[in-house]
Amino acid sequence: MTVTAPAATRAPASRRPASRPPGLAGAARRYPVLVALCVGAVFMVLPFAVVALNAVKSPAEYSAGGPLSLPEGIYLDGLRDFWQRVDFGQKLFNSVLISGSVAAGAVVLSVLNAYAIGIGRIKGRPYVLAFFVLANMVPQEALVYPVYYLSKQAGLYDTRLSVIIVFTVIQAAFGTYLLASVLGHFPREVIEAARIDGAGKWQVLWRIVVPVSRPTIGVLLVFFFIWTWNEFLLPLVMLVSNDNQTVSVALGVLQGQRLMDATMTNAAALLGVLPAIVFFLIFQRTLTRGIAVGAVK
Amino acid sequence: MSTARKRGASLLAAALAGALTLALSGCGGSDGGSAGDGKTLRLWHYESPNGAMGRAWAEAIKEFEKTHPGVKVEFEEKGFEQIQKTAPMVLNSDDAPDLLEYNKGNATTGLLSRQGLLTDLSAEAAERGWDKKLGAGVETTSRYDENGVMGSGKWFGVPNYAEYTMMYYNKDLFEKHDVEIPTSFSELTDALAAFKAKGVTPLANAGAEYPAHQYVYQLALSKADRSFVDAYQLYQGKPDFRDEAWTYAAETFADWVEKGYIAKSTSGAKAEQAGVAFISGEYPILFSGSWWFGRFRSEIEKFDWDTTLWPDSDLTLGSGGNLWVVPEGARNKELAYDFIDITMEKGIQNILGNNGGVPVAADPDAITDKQSKTLIDNFTQVADRDGLAFYPDWPVPGFYDVLVSETQKLMTGSASPEQYLDALQKAYDAGAPQS
Repeated sequence: MTVTAPAATRAPASRRPASRPPGLAGAARRYPVLVALCVGAVFMVLPFAVVALNAVKSPAEYSAGGPLSLPEGIYLDGLRDFWQRVDFGQKLFNSVLISGSVAAGAVVLSVLNAYAIGIGRIKGRPYVLAFFVLANMVPQEALVYPVYYLSKQAGLYDTRLSVIIVFTVIQAAFGTYLLASVLGHFPREVIEAARIDGAGKWQVLWRIVVPVSRPTIGVLLVFFFIWTWNEFLLPLVMLVSNDNQTVSVALGVLQGQRLMDATMTNAAALLGVLPAIVFFLIFQRTLTRGIAVGAVK
Repeated sequence: MSTARKRGASLLAAALAGALTLALSGCGGSDGGSAGDGKTLRLWHYESPNGAMGRAWAEAIKEFEKTHPGVKVEFEEKGFEQIQKTAPMVLNSDDAPDLLEYNKGNATTGLLSRQGLLTDLSAEAAERGWDKKLGAGVETTSRYDENGVMGSGKWFGVPNYAEYTMMYYNKDLFEKHDVEIPTSFSELTDALAAFKAKGVTPLANAGAEYPAHQYVYQLALSKADRSFVDAYQLYQGKPDFRDEAWTYAAETFADWVEKGYIAKSTSGAKAEQAGVAFISGEYPILFSGSWWFGRFRSEIEKFDWDTTLWPDSDLTLGSGGNLWVVPEGARNKELAYDFIDITMEKGIQNILGNNGGVPVAADPDAITDKQSKTLIDNFTQVADRDGLAFYPDWPVPGFYDVLVSETQKLMTGSASPEQYLDALQKAYDAGAPQS
């Protein structure tokens, strides 16, 4: 996906006045980077194309012709059946609720933590940061049982809140680490100027630090949303009832013990990935801006 | 610029606030609250709604609600993976269902029974006559001893169906290449050679998953008897992988790969690929389990096909199907027993049989579909001669991966049959319980 954005910024180059011979070979000589990016984009898009192709095939067509054959007509029963079978609307709502809450909560936590570490410069800063990195590196498999027992004790097992809390903490660990290093280079003069004008710590945070770091925060928000959206193991373990499950867990219903329904799995994968793509497209500007804004004005 | 920024900030704040309130308001409601009032039956299974079991059980739910007025069945379709990964945790919590489908075997139902998470069904099985409906081979996976080893002890699960392996053959390809459908083992090898001579690879195979080592195990079974299976699967004796049966199996399998009866290129293929290749008419023979039957029946349109047992072998792979188990923490056990009882009745069993499943207690005359009739008759034959030999990966935890990778080596020629058998012996001895 990320390849498409640079490809678009390259596009204006083609508007240069050109009197050279047209044709692919000519283009390849003149714009090697563009051609390379196009090839890269094709490779990135190909898997999606295969998924989309198989999503609209009937199971018989798939079995007879394999995954790369072209369907004779558009067969949408796979998509429709899957939607009804798992009550996909409910799953979408759960996923949006969980991912949205986690993204928002983790960003707030990260900002507060990073403010203390990056700007407040608390004692033992490197150790605190190292701790956050470690927390981020613990494999989720190791978390499964502790989280299970804790949430059972707290009466939160099989609730969406349990997953939200867990992921807010996990994502905030990464966010704190990243944001703390960004804020570590925050120009002190700006903060001192604000202090002289009589701003308290709280005002410095909300009036100065957050607005200036907004692009970075925006990127974190998008990443947290998409990462949480794609989480599988912990939601699988923690969300037992079908009513609480997320989209990625619902996709697992189609994998049988020995058989899989290839076309319906493709249909489901398409449905599962679409919201994340839509979300990405909506926030794409935030993303690219955040990456572009390296220095502070 | 500054107004735009302000607006953005307030938007962000609104989004945050909205998401948080949603989170707080939406999260409290978990509906684990149905108490043991005998009014709801919480039921989980992981069969697809169009499969034989899915259809039969949908009918069973209707039947159950008819015979239990006022009782609601709360059915949730689960993924196989989810039940596998989370069953011990769910059953240990307040959210356990009243009845669920669970995988049979020592590592699954056996383990849960040992941990005390499953209800002992022995009394119900005797009282309601489930034990009489299941044959000896099928019953093996229902009973577990105090160490969680199947074959004896208390009843912890009841299967509705059985599974076994057979040869699926493409009649049109046999006809086209003028090959007789084999009824004995020597005819089978003749047929394999005849296909090969015509440039057709006769056997569909998948080395990256179970099909390859199931060929090997079937070859061994054709030279073995019940005591071989008891030693290997139930630890009643010490299996010797250098015995006649295993040696024959490994050598024959390697020989078939060498001769091109099994394509070397399939050493990296998945079972799904082997099945799809058979459906698309590439291979005349696929040796695999009854779990393919329903799919073949609905998806093969281009050619005529049928099934037959592996020739000249009393034993074949197979077992009872997955089990109905009742969690120890279930709130409505009586309803769960009633539901199991309904699924064992002739009506539901016949639906299962007519949709491509192998019922354990159907009425043979009620099976109308011709291919299904062959499938069920063949199973009755195997069951009557106590010929279910289970699956080669069962006895040892993690043995599946060893079997897959070692059989791949045997196929590619990087291990000789002797090295192959020694590797299996080592893994088996390391993992089998010491008795």
